[in-house]
Amino acid sequence: MELSDRTTNKDPAKPVGAVMVVGGGIGGMQASLDLAESGFFVYLVDNSPTIGGVMSQLDKTFPTNDCAMCIMSPKLVGTGGHRNIRVITHAEVKEITGPPGSFEAAIIRRPRYIRADKCTGCGECAKHCPVTAIDSYNEGMSKRAAVYLRYPQAIPKVFLIDRDTCIGCGLCERACLAGAVDYGDKESVEKISVGSVILAPGFEVFAAERRPEFGYGVFPNVLTSIEFERILSATGPHRSHLLRPSDGAIPERIAFIQCVGSRDVKCGNDYCSSICCMYAVKEAIIAKEHVPFVKPTIFNMDIRAYGKGFDAYYERAKADYDVRFIKSMVSKVREKQGTGNLLVTFLNEEGKASEEEFDLVVLSVGMTPSQSVRDMAARLGVNLNRFGFCETETFTPLATSREGIYVCGAFQSPKDIPETVAQASGAAGAAAEIIASARGTLAIKKEYPPESEVKPEDEARIGVFVCHCGINIGGVVNVPAVREYASTLPNVIHADENLYTCSQDTQEKIKNAVKEHGLNRVIVASCSPRTHEPMFRETIREAGLNKFLFEMANIRDQCSWVHMRRKAEATEKAKLLVRMAVANARLNSPLTETEVPVIQRGLVIGGGVAGMTAALCLAEQGFEVFLVEKEDRLGGNLLHLHHTIEGGDVKAFLRGLIARALDNSKIHVLLNSQIVDFNGVRGNFTTGVRTAPDMVYQKIQHGITILATGAQEEKPDGYLYGEDPRVLTQLELEDRLDQAGDDAIQLQDVVMIQCVGSRNEKHPSCSRTCCATAVKNALKLKKLNPAMNIRILYRDIRTYGFLETYYTQARREGIVFVRYDAEESPEVKKEGETLLISFEDKILKERMTLKPDLIVLSSASIPRENKELANLLKVPRTAEGFFLEAHMKLRPVDFASDGIYVAGSAHAPKLISESISQAYAAAARACTILSKDNLMVGGIVAVVDGERCAACLTCVRVCPYDVPVVNVRGEAEIDIIQCKGCGTCAAECPARAIDLMHFTTGQLEAKVGALVEG
Amino acid sequence: MRLSYPSNVKVVKLPCTGRVDVLLILRAFESGVDGVYVAGCMEGECHFLRGNLRARRRVEYVKGLLEEVGLGGGRVEMFNMSASQGQRFAQFAREMTERIRLLGPSPVRK
Amino acid sequence: MIVGNRKDFKEILEKLGPRRRVLVLGCNECVTVCGVGGEREVGVLASELRLFWKKEGETFEVREHTLERQCDCEYIDQIRGFADEYDVILSMACGAGVQYVSEAYKTKLVLPAVNTTFLGVTIEQGVWSERCQGCGACILDMTAGVCPIARCAKSLLNGPCGGSSGGKCEIDNETDCAWQLIVDRLKESGQMERYEEILPVKDWRSGREGGPRKRVREDLKL
Repeated sequence: MELSDRTTNKDPAKPVGAVMVVGGGIGGMQASLDLAESGFFVYLVDNSPTIGGVMSQLDKTFPTNDCAMCIMSPKLVGTGGHRNIRVITHAEVKEITGPPGSFEAAIIRRPRYIRADKCTGCGECAKHCPVTAIDSYNEGMSKRAAVYLRYPQAIPKVFLIDRDTCIGCGLCERACLAGAVDYGDKESVEKISVGSVILAPGFEVFAAERRPEFGYGVFPNVLTSIEFERILSATGPHRSHLLRPSDGAIPERIAFIQCVGSRDVKCGNDYCSSICCMYAVKEAIIAKEHVPFVKPTIFNMDIRAYGKGFDAYYERAKADYDVRFIKSMVSKVREKQGTGNLLVTFLNEEGKASEEEFDLVVLSVGMTPSQSVRDMAARLGVNLNRFGFCETETFTPLATSREGIYVCGAFQSPKDIPETVAQASGAAGAAAEIIASARGTLAIKKEYPPESEVKPEDEARIGVFVCHCGINIGGVVNVPAVREYASTLPNVIHADENLYTCSQDTQEKIKNAVKEHGLNRVIVASCSPRTHEPMFRETIREAGLNKFLFEMANIRDQCSWVHMRRKAEATEKAKLLVRMAVANARLNSPLTETEVPVIQRGLVIGGGVAGMTAALCLAEQGFEVFLVEKEDRLGGNLLHLHHTIEGGDVKAFLRGLIARALDNSKIHVLLNSQIVDFNGVRGNFTTGVRTAPDMVYQKIQHGITILATGAQEEKPDGYLYGEDPRVLTQLELEDRLDQAGDDAIQLQDVVMIQCVGSRNEKHPSCSRTCCATAVKNALKLKKLNPAMNIRILYRDIRTYGFLETYYTQARREGIVFVRYDAEESPEVKKEGETLLISFEDKILKERMTLKPDLIVLSSASIPRENKELANLLKVPRTAEGFFLEAHMKLRPVDFASDGIYVAGSAHAPKLISESISQAYAAAARACTILSKDNLMVGGIVAVVDGERCAACLTCVRVCPYDVPVVNVRGEAEIDIIQCKGCGTCAAECPARAIDLMHFTTGQLEAKVGALVEG
Repeated sequence: MRLSYPSNVKVVKLPCTGRVDVLLILRAFESGVDGVYVAGCMEGECHFLRGNLRARRRVEYVKGLLEEVGLGGGRVEMFNMSASQGQRFAQFAREMTERIRLLGPSPVRK
Repeated sequence: MIVGNRKDFKEILEKLGPRRRVLVLGCNECVTVCGVGGEREVGVLASELRLFWKKEGETFEVREHTLERQCDCEYIDQIRGFADEYDVILSMACGAGVQYVSEAYKTKLVLPAVNTTFLGVTIEQGVWSERCQGCGACILDMTAGVCPIARCAKSLLNGPCGGSSGGKCEIDNETDCAWQLIVDRLKESGQMERYEEILPVKDWRSGREGGPRKRVREDLKL
């Protein structure tokens, strides 16, 4: 890559086709990948020596209990290896100058003392380092050397020397055969030109010492939740054994204390950190899975399980894992002398102070932006809110106060992983919008020499390159003997050994050998294909060979490293692994990836805020969009809303949005229209649309599809709704307040009931927005008539994030919140003309009966009719009818079928700002397809031998992605565009008519045949 | 993590355990291996949705076949582990090696 | 389709006796679809034989081959070139296939590796169920599309026996009572009055009881 080419903007009138992403956590990586896949060059700047952020420290993720590292590592590898992402770690942004579209950023790169271009990540240096330092990855609970890699899967896989602890002994320098140690490394400043910037610097956890009453830092068995997470982790200090710090005993009674540093006016953090309830539930479940006799107790004010599938998870914790939830705030933790156990003081449900003994206390610490991030914001001129988070507006949730600089993730507001990922894609969409005209100007397109033809009947000519990997392999395995052995194997024309096969000069050596010996297969016997295969494939491609003619034998991770003390055995095994690789490589065939043209046009279904926002984001980037709306006008749910809780004018915003959508020449708005048929695959869909009143039919061809069909307020059941005009829903109240605000002044007593139709058997989920809506409308009523008595009957108040401040305000203004249990729902009846409501008051311990003037029901949010659409598009829905994304955590706006995305409350109930973020996200994801002229398809896919196919339908039934079909010829057909290459069909076809390319039956059998010699 | 495990364990890489074919396992025994185990992702965490669940059924089926021919179903096993569980990988490698050692060399190889 | 079950390995071994040169012959029709005698199952059986004999230290030759169909002589002829190299042809087709191969190779021993069980349908991946007995005189029009001949354990023609309870058959509570199914279906399709019609005594001569059957279509003959 020619740096000088991209550091200056040659044409100031035209924006720079590059983006700087600050922060390499899950959000930063997602934004970078989306941008890089859409034709922009990305600089990913991370303060830490490695990307991965806090997610790399997590053991599992809620509500699916997925292993965090497992699901994240493909993103790590993808980011680290992407041609159009330059990862700059151990660095921070000093300043950004210039106008949006043409920024210049100065980046301070701190010295690493290890040269990234030479370090192979082998770790020999750390083995020789005599220093024992504290490992921050494990939250200080384990040790590391002064020269270290933050975690084994780290990207970049380049060590660094922590000069604070390094004694400069020089042992690592001597141990490093690659010559990567450079004690003279210095801080440097680099300037880069970018068109826009995304801030994704993440968060740090609240400093638990600031709540001294809990004894953190004083009592060894009081931990923070992140420390507990590390203890649970397989790569943690105790290798996933659940042990407490003071004595290494298994803690049986574990207390989780919620809201440490959150919802706390005293320490200035009167916001909710949004994620702690769920991570505490998760940690309790995982602890229980580790040690079944553990008894977790979670002390909480409310359980804020407001996200998709969260309530089910919470209910499961209670029912299946016996997690105890106590609705109480802990006032104090003290240590019971001589035991290390902890005495927790709290007000019990009767309101009496009580004390209970625990073996371990976990503090659910909140999220807060770190001081260094606040400092950076100040340097960049980006406004923060009063808590130090990045300030954004309701209707522009991705924009910072400085034009051209966008934000995502926990720096914008506390949020969990999927919302961070969605917002990151959203920020990528916003950042791309303003530099769309420069798309493709800086992205690197690589030119390759033509591929030399390798026919199946051509004799295999194999070159084997055996790697010493410094002494990582060579110190255990007799590399010359392996090379010698390799040269005796059939079809091996050339065998060689190298100190580091991954070094730049060795790549040249390999290329020359291909030419000189006419090689048509290349094998490298070295480390893991996971990290190195892409690079070697690149090398042989540069030498004119198809990349699938490359094969790897892992003689390090699977041999020398794990059989260190058995050198002779290791050598024999290395030979065998090479033999297997040769057997396989002989049958490797060149696989062509074919280009299929992309129809660079989008289809957005649903003309609400999400649909219009997504359509506009695509249109602003120059793509034509069809926006299909069932009703006779655009607007969706927002047509019924008036103000946001923050005071934003929804009507004015909506008017502007509709006008922009209608005025945009790239957007074709089809009102009164419905989808009637749907065909095709990513890049090339055909959809039939019928438009009322004449039911005119038209076919639309498009490359991507975004579903934004929204949700609606459910018409409640019971509570005299529909029978008495004094019983309303929140939406109806809102309309009434807007139309006839004055008549509200007459009201004296208003009762609101939360969770009507939510969190029950029929609809187990929380509807997420109703708590905030109730608070919003209650505050509005209070404003109209301060003397009004307002009671809100609730199960948990879920005003997450900054919404919490309005909840606090509501209580200050005298709005009364009364908790009820699911089993004892409030009762509404009529005596004569008098409306009566009775409910159990938990604190007074008695049944209250009131005669309200008005009862407002916070009714559930349910998806709009979407079953038929789901069937047409073959996309899945949850039991409640919301669309189901490809992966709850890391693919929040994608469907499993490529090229189809979801946005807004069709996915799950959402606030306006969240729908906007998600709409931008769907558009950004869509642009990864739309921005390409062609898609490359093929490679490792399943192929059918039609002659042998018995049309038995096995493949059709077992394919997890419903790709195979039996065609008109009565043979199975597998679309290479959709096939993901798992091989399940090939493994089950009873006629053995299906094979998986690159993992063919012939290859696998040859490989296992080579397992045993002779 | 460089956790040591017995050197007799050799890995055949697949895109997903869903690719594991009943016949592939049988062919391995035909070529003379003493045992086969399939290492898949944790149940419910398959990257390809359910490949590991299909694989488990096939392994159970092969157990029956090996019983029929007198090799013993214990020579084949399915294990689940996640990418970050190096410890578990090494543990299963040791467990399986120990189990096969007790069963002795494959009678097919004499 | 014709559904079968693989014979026990032990039984196959016994039938093979001392013969060690075996041609395992699959069929790419019904038995492939029901996962009993297609190329994959041929591979499994061949593999089992090889493993067993290797274990026993014997010398042997096992060849795998799958024909498009074993019920047409043109396909069966395709193995003419090498069938003689084997002591025995182990057919994984249905009974029809085994017989037809045997007829074509009169000097060869042809053994069945599959028990042919019924004419049926795929209920779901991996599950098949009987639907037809080939009685030669179909009455499905009278019984709302549910065959009491094939699906009632007693092949009763006019209503259930006393063993029907809770909609299940007395032979085991997994099996639906065919007459329950018929009545349910008659109700659903609004033809309950048909239940009143008495079905005449069945003439079983059109079925197996009339001896082996043969069908000729003059117009198709050459």
